[in-house]
Amino acid sequence: MAERPRIAAALAVALAIVAAAEVADAVPAFARQYDLQCNVCHTRPPRLNRFGEQFHMMGFQIPSAARPGGLIASFREEGPARTVIDTLALRVVGGLFEYSESPRETEIKAEPPHEVALFITRPVTPNVSVYVELEYEPKAVEFSRRRGFFEREHRFGVGKEAFFMWNLGWLLGAAGAPTMEMGGQTMVGEHGKFTLHGPMLMAGKIDPNTNFSYPTNRQMLQGTELEIEKEQGEDVGTVHRLPVVPYAFASKFFGLFRDRNEGEPQLVTDQVMYNTTGAPGADLHAMVNDVVLAQAGVLRENEGVNAYGMLRVDLLDRRELALNVSALLNWGFGVARAPDPDDHRRPGPGRLDRLRYGLAANLRWRQWDLYGAIIVDRLYDLPGLLRRRFDRDAAGLTLEVDYLVHEKVMLSGRFDQLWAGGLRDEKRDGSVFSVQAKFYPWQNVAFFVRDSVNLRGFAQDNPLRNWRHQLFVGIDWDF
Amino acid sequence: MSPQVRVALVAATSALAMLVLWGPGPRSSRANGERDAETGGHAHVPAPLEYADAHVPPSVWTDPAMIARGREIYAAKCAVCHGDSGDGRGPAGRALPLKPPDFRDRAGVAEMRDNYWFWRVSEGGQVEPFKGRGSAMPPWKGELSVQERWAVMAYQHTFSGHDGPHVPWEHPESVAVGRDIYAMACLACHGADGRGDGSVGPMLAPRRAPQPRDFTSGEFKFRSTPSGHLPTTADLFRTVTEGIRGGGGAVTIGLRGQRLMPAFRHMPEEQRLEVVEYIKSFNRGFWDRVEVKTVAVPPPPVVTAERLARGRQLYADAECVACHGAGGRGDGPSAPTLKDSRGLPIAATDLTRPERFKNGPRPEDVYRTLMTGLAGTPMPSYADALEPDQAWDLVYFVLSLSETRRAAGSHATGSAGGGGR
Repeated sequence: MAERPRIAAALAVALAIVAAAEVADAVPAFARQYDLQCNVCHTRPPRLNRFGEQFHMMGFQIPSAARPGGLIASFREEGPARTVIDTLALRVVGGLFEYSESPRETEIKAEPPHEVALFITRPVTPNVSVYVELEYEPKAVEFSRRRGFFEREHRFGVGKEAFFMWNLGWLLGAAGAPTMEMGGQTMVGEHGKFTLHGPMLMAGKIDPNTNFSYPTNRQMLQGTELEIEKEQGEDVGTVHRLPVVPYAFASKFFGLFRDRNEGEPQLVTDQVMYNTTGAPGADLHAMVNDVVLAQAGVLRENEGVNAYGMLRVDLLDRRELALNVSALLNWGFGVARAPDPDDHRRPGPGRLDRLRYGLAANLRWRQWDLYGAIIVDRLYDLPGLLRRRFDRDAAGLTLEVDYLVHEKVMLSGRFDQLWAGGLRDEKRDGSVFSVQAKFYPWQNVAFFVRDSVNLRGFAQDNPLRNWRHQLFVGIDWDF
Repeated sequence: MSPQVRVALVAATSALAMLVLWGPGPRSSRANGERDAETGGHAHVPAPLEYADAHVPPSVWTDPAMIARGREIYAAKCAVCHGDSGDGRGPAGRALPLKPPDFRDRAGVAEMRDNYWFWRVSEGGQVEPFKGRGSAMPPWKGELSVQERWAVMAYQHTFSGHDGPHVPWEHPESVAVGRDIYAMACLACHGADGRGDGSVGPMLAPRRAPQPRDFTSGEFKFRSTPSGHLPTTADLFRTVTEGIRGGGGAVTIGLRGQRLMPAFRHMPEEQRLEVVEYIKSFNRGFWDRVEVKTVAVPPPPVVTAERLARGRQLYADAECVACHGAGGRGDGPSAPTLKDSRGLPIAATDLTRPERFKNGPRPEDVYRTLMTGLAGTPMPSYADALEPDQAWDLVYFVLSLSETRRAAGSHATGSAGGGGR
């Protein structure tokens, strides 16, 4: 509770700075490093446009224009102070006000920022970049070993992602492949015949979704927070309401567990593989002839490991129309645990494999941006005793449309459909429609109002459906 | 995790970091230089800027009279090294350290742009990188007229077996390097066909100017050429190098974050020239113009109070006030009605913020803007209305507007501070 005044004071200072933005606007690290407006890379932050996707794909370098001397040249030419300042960025996301309604009760909550993230990010050499996110969460939710959840006042540490990206084109060159130097970066191929950007190695704590046609960490509608219910005087709470997230990327199964020792449940809305909080792993991606983007990698997930491959084809970009489609194939080795056949509240002894495959597409036309994904999951190695009581197939669909009504106003709508799997007694399908209006008084500051509507019947005992509307007013601020 | 494992992990990470930072860099290679060795060291590097606009009119390549004239010149001046059949095996050429090229090499000739070719014929082997490679080719610009050099090129071109004009739309391989750079760095805004219709533009500035340039049209804002003319290659090169500043709006901090188009100054100069050559290939007008005129920028005079006073009067007389406003803030009475040639609303530039001037903030940049106008926008050319000295008066007055704004700002601050005392 002692944090509240401090957070309120920080917000007041932040708002004062925003109010004085005419003389002191602030922009995130890459915009400062390259002297570019936010909207050069974003349709509107955080969503990337085609140029921003290329920028990310090439390791946070302006395509074909990497600074030859990298970080050292920056120190020399711009001085240490500016180099350090330009390397840092801060993001504050928060629901300043939250309203949630159900037949049971109406809740109104004023909240501190959901998260404050400090980014340390910069190309180090033309072929190497680093990206580190340090995150402060005032109300982090963590699992308790005592078979429940508890809220902590705050948490600080490495955030969703912390990785380096390394262009390995030179490696293929050393192995005999023809190479070209394009704007300081090594590229494989021969002009006019075959070109290959990368392969880029991304390793560390990663979420490899950015290259997918539905890049979940760049969507306009962010996930809502998991709500915990606590008994008075108790630290321990249980799940009261599941968050609204893109269901296509959710775990989709009721009754699973993350691991055995701690018995932590794998919530049906937990984002796995993509849109995660980041996991140790390594990812390779490369773009062929500026049309096909191939990606493969391995990621840690719970007690197991994911191996995945993704292929994106950029079909066109002309007449103000851009279209790409992606296919994803993922095999998770022992990434979840089935419930104990005799006691569903405890994890069982066997680990499950998961096959995940799906399609996504992104169509941009003028001020419209439409993207969606359908992902299918199937579990393997279920205990025999569970097979009749457990549905091992599940699917999710997420469709989002953004429309830039005005230079400073972005409207978004998203539909999420969950065809859930898991324990037949517990599982419920979910359908949610969300709308959002986002106002950008400056390119790096957005105020948003959003409403999510539960399209399914109200179910008091089910945290996926025990609500009708969730209305949020919030701020998303990068500087 | 045991201490041993932790130490091993730290050591491995450190070794990886060392490898990343100081390990093998990119293998030395040159854009489209793969054929360099095959073509005997005749790297088809981009022509330097002073020759980059020296395009050969397409009709020259197939004009029988030009080819016949070229044959005569070739026999008299070239065949001794390049051979009667253009195979590079003339009697005098065999002993040369850098062998003459084989004009029968269809692929090699196709990669060679006409301005490169003209540069080589004009300057011979007296320029780098050819001089360093021992080229003995004499410069012909002193002996042969432009027409004669075109003629001999047209004849040499016949050895390759290609019947059409030697232009990029016949030989896309001649701009392949630029096309690959364009695909990565430019396509998202300017579109695959260079029409300024990539997917980024409509989101960047919805339903208003500026929009990405349509390279196929004749309208280029940032030129050193008179109104209605295409820009020079140097103009395009400058825009690619400097990028384009935003005219204002959301993120306009004092430090950074202003440009709408990146400054590609870190792209190697050779590759910037390559991408400019590809951009030019979208517009055949670059090959149709016989002469490239530019607006000369005389040396800037000394600023005086009298000059500023004359500039103030010109600012009023030339109706700059109508769009830019009396204080230069872009708030003149006509400003809300301004539209560009596409019919999109366009803002009048805030003259009190030179750091946002799209065509550059230096006095010579402003002079150039005044005298060439900004094609496709309501900003006209004053080349016919102002004498150079008058233009400088106006330039200095325009640049003084930012001083006025700063002075007003500091005065306001001072007043506020004074009130507090």
